[in-house]
Amino acid sequence: MAEVRVTDLHKHFGAVHAVRGINLDIPDGEFTVLVGPSGCGKSTLLRTIAGLEEITEGEIAIGGDVVNDMRPRDRDVAMVFQDYALYPHMTARANIGFGLRARKMPQAEIDQRVGRAAAMLGINGLLDRYPRQLSGGQRQRVAIGRAIVRNPKVFLFDEPLSNLDAQLRDEMRGEIKRLHQEIDTTMIYVTHDQIEAMTLADRIVLMRDGVIEQQGAPLDLFERPVNRFVAGFLGSPKMNFIPAKLMREDGDRIILSDGISLALPRGRLSTNAAPTDVLLGLRPEHISRAGGEPMVAGTARVDATVDLLQPTGSRTFATFSLGGVPVIAELQAHDVSRVGEKIPLVLNLDRASIFAADSEKAL
Amino acid sequence: MAGSATAVGTISGGRHLPSARQSDRRFKWLLVAPAALLILAISIYPLLFSIWVLFVNYDFQIPGHAFVGLKNFSQVIFDPVARYSLWVTVVLSVINVTIEFILGLAIAMALAKTFRGRGVIISILIVPLFISPVIVGQVWVLMLHNPFGPTNYLLGQLLGYDVTIKWLTQFPWNFVALILADVWQWTPFMFVILLAGLTSIPPHVYEAAELDGVGPWLTFWNITLPYLAPMIFLAITFRLLDAVRLFDTIFIMTGGGPGTSTYSASFYLYTIGFTQFHLSRATAGAWIFMVLTLLVIIFLVRRLLKAETR
Repeated sequence: MAEVRVTDLHKHFGAVHAVRGINLDIPDGEFTVLVGPSGCGKSTLLRTIAGLEEITEGEIAIGGDVVNDMRPRDRDVAMVFQDYALYPHMTARANIGFGLRARKMPQAEIDQRVGRAAAMLGINGLLDRYPRQLSGGQRQRVAIGRAIVRNPKVFLFDEPLSNLDAQLRDEMRGEIKRLHQEIDTTMIYVTHDQIEAMTLADRIVLMRDGVIEQQGAPLDLFERPVNRFVAGFLGSPKMNFIPAKLMREDGDRIILSDGISLALPRGRLSTNAAPTDVLLGLRPEHISRAGGEPMVAGTARVDATVDLLQPTGSRTFATFSLGGVPVIAELQAHDVSRVGEKIPLVLNLDRASIFAADSEKAL
Repeated sequence: MAGSATAVGTISGGRHLPSARQSDRRFKWLLVAPAALLILAISIYPLLFSIWVLFVNYDFQIPGHAFVGLKNFSQVIFDPVARYSLWVTVVLSVINVTIEFILGLAIAMALAKTFRGRGVIISILIVPLFISPVIVGQVWVLMLHNPFGPTNYLLGQLLGYDVTIKWLTQFPWNFVALILADVWQWTPFMFVILLAGLTSIPPHVYEAAELDGVGPWLTFWNITLPYLAPMIFLAITFRLLDAVRLFDTIFIMTGGGPGTSTYSASFYLYTIGFTQFHLSRATAGAWIFMVLTLLVIIFLVRRLLKAETR
């Protein structure tokens, strides 16, 4: 149980500047997810916290103690790896207990702790098997068990679900979340999967090119992205970005390249110094088929011809052209029946994001 | 639908099958023939010929090829030099391979991590592998020469008094000399195989152990060695198979001497067969030696396969 504080952290690999001045405050017991595209430095950041990578500059403190020069084993952190990193020549039981054995804990207590962890993870019946006799999901459970028994101050997860198939991934995701609720220890979790990040995190730290783009509660990032990158990274299908002009006479208006003019809700823009060239960011779920209902404030109506349909069962993703770019809308399954159909759409501009075209920052 | 398609395929394909298959088979034999004849001529025929030689007199010093029963075998078995040479072979092989394994493993572990200049060091270390054993023997003869070689001189400088060890003629130094030459030449072999094994161990396992607080000694015994076991068996098997044939360095360095004290099995067989021309006796000895070696090989290969499938 400990908070983790990272101050002005830099990490160079030769000429590559992988982590560029990260500041991070993770309170005790929080589930923090480091997310970002591959090469963004999230794994490197995690490994520096573990002590597996030396840091070039800055400071890392765990539970108030600066651990910069502490060996990984002395930091009292446990890590779960993407490839499980089990000891192949030991049974699951020996794997889970090996760290305790190495720390010369009495056998009776080791047995007790291993039993408790196995019960928590539902692997009691597998303890005498070797890793090669276990499935991917079972191996990952053993690896998590190995972390749990040590009662570490901090749990570190390095893309632990990436090697599992989709169904198992969903299942394990739930288990990890439940585990965090049960043991209530600080967890830092690295993933490139935005759904994992959204579902697991108390707080998401979204990184790109070695810097933090935005951090906060998942819905904060989702609903109030600070820039186009954050907006585009979270959500599937991605947010639509439509180039447009911003007119600021008699209320704010957005003019799309095909002449469509959309009135922005009053007070939607947080700044008065907005540029003319902007990007209108609209999530697919904020575009719906217009019915007979009266217009609600903060929405706009357009007619559009469907170019592509992707039914998923409960929902249908329809692609059409708006403002000269393809735009995806998430519609009800039976809202649209065929390609080429012209349908009326409601754009929920209350929920839209507006970005400056040049800096891509949210306005 | 799939069933009917299969049936049609069989009927239409079956009509031309017999003749096509026959000419196909003939062509395959034609391709195999040169290699088969070559093996027959240079491998199978001499082997069968040697079985005949085992039971007749094929001695250049005694005319005729009279049937002698098991006399050739008994002459080898009751020859004290033969038994002694076998003993020398076993002892030298075990000592050589053990030292080479320990040294090879130590060097491999020292060089498992990447650092600047590692490639150059590895290249230099494996140079002895590319040198003919005869040359290696000659070099060590010069190195150990008494009184003109550098070894005694350097030892003298180190110890502060004149060192006059007769490395090639004085027990136990003659054995030390043979071991030195063998270890110098073949440690790199162990090192290369074990290094390949070490670098194939996934680094995450070591990182997990480090985070688990597992010390270096426990890590070595519980992670490195089990991971390396198949490679260790492989290296030791190959090396042992080669070590029991030890001949070149003995031929060059001690000539089996003084007397017959450094005779290895191979050197004994060579002497009996090609300097004394008791060819039947040498053949009988070679067969006995082969069977003994085979027993060791079978044991080692079984262990090797077991380690591989684990």
